[in-house]
Amino acid sequence: MKEKNHDHLPEGQILRAVVDEKDLPGEDQQHLRACSVCKRKIEQVRGGLQAFGKKAGQAVPPFSRPVRLPSEKPARISQNAGWLPFFGAAAMAGLLMFFYFMSMEIMPRPGLITMQSQENLLEDESLMRQISEMVENPLSDDMYEISGENGVDFDEDFLQFLVPEIQDDFQSELLIQGGIKRC
Amino acid sequence: MSLKVTGLVEKARDGNRVSFQELVNIFQEDIYRLAYYRTFSQMDAEDLTQDIFEQAYRKMDSLNDTERFRAWLYTIAVNRCNDFLRKRKYLALLQIRSAQEQDFVTRDEDTNNNSNDRIDKKRFWKQVKEMLHKLSAMEREVFTLRFMDHRNISEIAAILDKSESTVKTHLYRALNKVREHSDFFEEYRESTS
Repeated sequence: MKEKNHDHLPEGQILRAVVDEKDLPGEDQQHLRACSVCKRKIEQVRGGLQAFGKKAGQAVPPFSRPVRLPSEKPARISQNAGWLPFFGAAAMAGLLMFFYFMSMEIMPRPGLITMQSQENLLEDESLMRQISEMVENPLSDDMYEISGENGVDFDEDFLQFLVPEIQDDFQSELLIQGGIKRC
Repeated sequence: MSLKVTGLVEKARDGNRVSFQELVNIFQEDIYRLAYYRTFSQMDAEDLTQDIFEQAYRKMDSLNDTERFRAWLYTIAVNRCNDFLRKRKYLALLQIRSAQEQDFVTRDEDTNNNSNDRIDKKRFWKQVKEMLHKLSAMEREVFTLRFMDHRNISEIAAILDKSESTVKTHLYRALNKVREHSDFFEEYRESTS
């Protein structure tokens, strides 16, 4: 037997035994089984700690606000819910496809846009041509024939008769006054 | 854990609100004390108890082993308290709230007690705080769980997600520090000197 068996366990080993007696080396465990003094020391420490814990429990102010559970229940989802992400992804893909085809229906295709714009251009051109022709010839060919303007030469004298030339203001006034007097 | 508690845990996990309420009734005072030992404030401990059970209620689905409900609940509680203490420390840095704050709120229950009892409790908590202040965070945690929350080594290891030998090492160091500075071991020291 070593000398420490006669001198009892040191404080460090007593505390180690308080934590767990099985952690002591074999010789110390053997000593502890035989030594009532060391056993009593360990029990005193344990008793002191137990009393401390009890006092702590008694010194806590009383619990005055019982716990209230939240109103909603926790969502119960199966632990085998591996299909959930797949379902979510499929739903998202479906939505994307739906919106894609919807946009295809609403928006005209690029080729169609080109054809329509070409038709519009042609229409505009023919309209502009008609306007130009009407500016040059307000009457259509048939109406032009009927109107008698085609190939008719007017005599200068006849035109002078219809629309006399104005010399100046004074002479014209005299002519008018003379004409009135002659009448 | 008792069969009754295990049965309640299983039902609560399946969404049974009444069973969870029974679990709350069983554990709420333990959790409140756990929170008080860390905050030294009745109001904060009560708020934390409410938060802890709300969190547990929401996370019941994540509990795989119903036998380990108590350790699981204590893990939530310890983590929630540590979050709270970190936040309080941060607020103290910003001088919004004192880190040493404690409320010895005069409530109806307190006014009924005699003043000597109140002084005694106040002195006791002051000593506890001084003693715990000398320990590292992990030493303080294992000491509190072992001797104030009355959890055994294997439970503490499960709560803190550490090995039993790690827990024992921290506990031994904590006891070594505590015995030098505390009056709780006066009787022991006298007997060994």
